[in-house]
Amino acid sequence: MRLVNRCRCLAVVGTLAGGLLAMPLAQAQGAVPLAERLPLCAGCHGQDGNSVVPENPKLSGLDAEYLVRQLEDFKSGKRKSPIMSGIIPMVDDKEFKALGEYFSGQKPAPGKAVDAKLAAQGKEIFDEGIVGTAVPACSGCHNDDGSGSEKYPRVAGQNVAYVVQQLLNFKSGERANDSKALMQAVAKRMNEKEIRAVAEYVATLTGGEQ
Amino acid sequence: MIKAIPFALLLLLTSWQVTAMADAADSVKSPLGYGSKNYVWGKMTREQADILRLTGDAKRGKEAFRGCRGCHKADAAGIVDGTYPRLTGQHPSVVIKQVTEVRAGVRINPKMDPFAAEHAVSKQEIADISVYLATLETTRENGKGPDDLSAKGKAVYKKHHCAKCHGDNGEGEEAKAFPAVAAQHYGYLLREMRHIKDGTRGNSHPEMVKVIKPLTYNDLEAVADYLSRLPDYRLATKGDKK
Ligand code: HEC
Ligand code: HEC
Ligand code: HEC
Ligand code: HEC
Repeated sequence: MRLVNRCRCLAVVGTLAGGLLAMPLAQAQGAVPLAERLPLCAGCHGQDGNSVVPENPKLSGLDAEYLVRQLEDFKSGKRKSPIMSGIIPMVDDKEFKALGEYFSGQKPAPGKAVDAKLAAQGKEIFDEGIVGTAVPACSGCHNDDGSGSEKYPRVAGQNVAYVVQQLLNFKSGERANDSKALMQAVAKRMNEKEIRAVAEYVATLTGGEQ
Repeated sequence: MIKAIPFALLLLLTSWQVTAMADAADSVKSPLGYGSKNYVWGKMTREQADILRLTGDAKRGKEAFRGCRGCHKADAAGIVDGTYPRLTGQHPSVVIKQVTEVRAGVRINPKMDPFAAEHAVSKQEIADISVYLATLETTRENGKGPDDLSAKGKAVYKKHHCAKCHGDNGEGEEAKAFPAVAAQHYGYLLREMRHIKDGTRGNSHPEMVKVIKPLTYNDLEAVADYLSRLPDYRLATKGDKK
């Protein structure tokens, strides 16, 4: 019972926050051109997709198809986020492709670890996994430099707080839109300390770009 | 209320998974595997037969193998302590048999399960991966035993007719899905033989269980050491005209 209540609570807060933010643009019904839409996204993700708010993901350099799929999943409710769920009803599906391609084409800004000592421990997990609890190495799917591929998203340079939250969400099943449930399987085997460490290291990766 | 039920289920499932994983290190018997009432070695699952009919493609296999690299490593050489076996040069028929029998619950492998299950890897991808692995060279040192027991190990291997199925050079046999065992990691070989001996490797060949049962733990250590020190069978049999 308690759980259900909490969920509803979050949803209400989310809708409120989303509604407030989106208010000035609420009159924009139907698809609008990219240039008109961008300011809404830029408020949280940065004009060039390099969000400086640690909780908001950087979108720069991520695969365009991946970005579009996330927008679709926010809209259908397959991926839940109190904030994006409030924003996305304002955006017409026809705009997704242009938004995805725009942010995908932006140059990723380098990320930064908050705690360098933790990041060093995180490197071990990213490169080698955790053998005792059968956590596969992140590098196996996301590449050594975090650049990702068609099937596995880029993670290099991503904001620490965002990565921690996503891994916790995969672990709890709150985020369950990952293809083939692979990321859920990985995160379920990790504890919070390991998650924090690996997120710190992820932030330091460059994805092969300098 | 409705929401609460699946959550409770999820918790149950998660804790079950963790227990199963902890146990696996020390042997869980498969209800479908060796020792169960209707177990027939080599009785193909429908899926295994389907995959064997497909034509694999090494280039696609390389891409599909990404999801396996986190454990078996980018070069498919596994890890030296043998937790993750080497897969380079393994026969395609063996790779297909092992993966499909894990999927069917005949061989128990909860560590690998979510990454090799039906929802994660398609039949075609298994065919592709099996062909890809066969093309890979072994370049990294494999794990050997702590002492060189290869003389004793070789004698045990000969005396107990292991070569009948695994070959004089540990090369196995593609046509019969007998695994290549040469240059595999010591830790993996020893663990598997222990599971074969105590009946917990689900897909054991009954004839092999018969020959491994009487061996002592020291014998098993010696055989594992011997096999781990053999060269990759593809090197050993190159230019072997006999
Ligand atoms: C009020 C702040 C806010 C606004 C405005 C906003 N976002 Fe987001 N966005 C977020 C947050 C926070 C997340 C992380 C969601 C989560 O926790 O899963 C996110 C996640 C995303 C993701 C998923 C990224 C990933 O790596 O998986 C995409 C894509 C995205 N937003 C695109 C957009 C677009 C396009 C717009 C403009 C139409 C937009 N966002 C507007 C805050 C915002
Ligand atoms: C077996 C392959 C695999 C492994 C190993 C793996 N991942 Fe993932 N990862 C995925 C997939 C698949 C997705 C989701 C893609 C999608 O939704 O389409 C993902 C998504 C993510 C995301 C979300 C990205 C975003 O922008 O929201 C993060 C963060 C992440 N992984 C980090 C990690 C870390 C850290 C590790 C190691 C502890 C790891 N991954 C190991 C396959 C993998
Ligand atoms: C989370 C780690 C993990 C991942 C990811 C993983 N495996 Fe495994 N794999 C293992 C372990 C552990 C074993 C050994 C099992 C045992 O000891 O019984 C194994 C054994 C095998 C074997 C049997 C080898 C033999 O000689 O009998 C094959 C074949 C195999 N894996 C293929 C794959 C393929 C193909 C993938 C990707 C689709 C994959 N594995 C992904 C952990 C993993
Ligand atoms: C009748 C044929 C046969 C004989 C004889 C035999 N084996 Fe096997 N062995 C197999 C088969 C088949 C497998 C793979 C299990 C399966 O898929 O059914 C196997 C698996 C193994 C493995 C694990 C390999 C891997 O990659 O997982 C080891 C180690 C091994 N055998 C050692 C031995 C030793 C040592 C002997 C002699 C004492 C022996 N075998 C005799 C058929 C045989």
